[in-house]
Amino acid sequence: MGNTKPTVIGVDNSPSMKKLLERSTENLDIDLTMLASAEEALSYLQSNTPNLIILSIILPDKDGLSLLKELRQIPVHQKTQVIIVSSKDYNQDRMIAKDLGVLEFIAKPMSMQTITDVVVKYTQASLKSDSK
Amino acid sequence: MSNAQLRFWGVRGSYAAPFSSHLGVGGNTSCVEIRAGDHLLICDAGTGIIPLGNELMQQDKIREMFVILTHYHWDHVCGLPFFVPAFSPDWKISFFGPGDSPTSIEENVSSQMQAPYFPVGTETWLAEINYLVQQSGGFQYGPIKIDFSNVHHPGITFGYRIQVNDKTIVYASDNECMFIEKSVKHRSDEFNEEELALFEEMIHEEHQSELNLFKDADILIHDAQYTPDDYEKKRGWGHSCYVDTINTAINANVKELYLFHHDPNYDDAAMEAIQKHSNEIIKEKGSSLVCHIAKEGMTIDL
Repeated sequence: MGNTKPTVIGVDNSPSMKKLLERSTENLDIDLTMLASAEEALSYLQSNTPNLIILSIILPDKDGLSLLKELRQIPVHQKTQVIIVSSKDYNQDRMIAKDLGVLEFIAKPMSMQTITDVVVKYTQASLKSDSK
Repeated sequence: MSNAQLRFWGVRGSYAAPFSSHLGVGGNTSCVEIRAGDHLLICDAGTGIIPLGNELMQQDKIREMFVILTHYHWDHVCGLPFFVPAFSPDWKISFFGPGDSPTSIEENVSSQMQAPYFPVGTETWLAEINYLVQQSGGFQYGPIKIDFSNVHHPGITFGYRIQVNDKTIVYASDNECMFIEKSVKHRSDEFNEEELALFEEMIHEEHQSELNLFKDADILIHDAQYTPDDYEKKRGWGHSCYVDTINTAINANVKELYLFHHDPNYDDAAMEAIQKHSNEIIKEKGSSLVCHIAKEGMTIDL
């Protein structure tokens, strides 16, 4: 148990967001998996329970908030930790996210350190041994 | 004249503006009719759907329609409590809009017709009502093909790409163009070079995704609610400045742009100034884009 790395899922079809998440977490001892659509995410999450999901709102096949609503219907994901990272920065989206149990709503653009900090905060990830 | 037409029944955003100073453009909120033969597609159900409903009751050829909603902000649904075909037993109305199930679409449509806001609910509708579930490939309604995607506006909001008679019409009534670009510009001093380079990529990706919805449209009906001065005060409210709308339309190789969702504070003189400035922008850019102010009653042969 103590040796298991936290798993973090990024659900975003943006290649630049993928790069930003990878760079922000490269010194953390986590397993980061990127999924580019709601369909991919739902398929993956049927059989996996990550420690943290970093979710975008505008996805190619479905909006992230509807995806999360669907996810919350799956018993093992009722309390899965989710943060939103989106270029949509509107109060209505923040309220929907809050009702769906989203822990933090981060509007793009944000610093890489902001991402590093939330990943550490919610997964208790430690630094990789070669980064210490 | 072909067998298909588009007609603007409501062109205002936010709230109806039935003021004498505004009636050259029109005062009703969002509603656009697309008719292909006997197939009737209605984009949004703002107050413009009320006179459309009254006109439909005067004919007996069509008894069925498909209503697509961009979202459920009141200026897009507030005509429904007064939409006479819904209260008439011989009509069939299908609704589609954001929502993860037909039940959630029904709840979104119905919730404005409840006490204490309105005396009768949708249970008093006598028409056959259907709420349609999301389909990944969009919808085919007779000769009309309808696709949708998420756009930049508070809550879940759709833009629609509609094909009729080989013409592509894009209806994006509420969309804040170039939002991330402006957010980055606004806060650029907070970030390092590497982050700024990544944000440049992000801006490009988001812009491309916006262009994918509008690309090569014959007709783009798009949010253009604010002047540049008003946009500065209302950035982040979910609506576009008309200058950004024009630039996006040019980048997407749109043929004809209809500026839409006009601010209810802008009277006919203000709208005329917007038309004049729009033409100047297009001329300066050497673009072939044709730009119109969408006006109530305006009809386009498709």
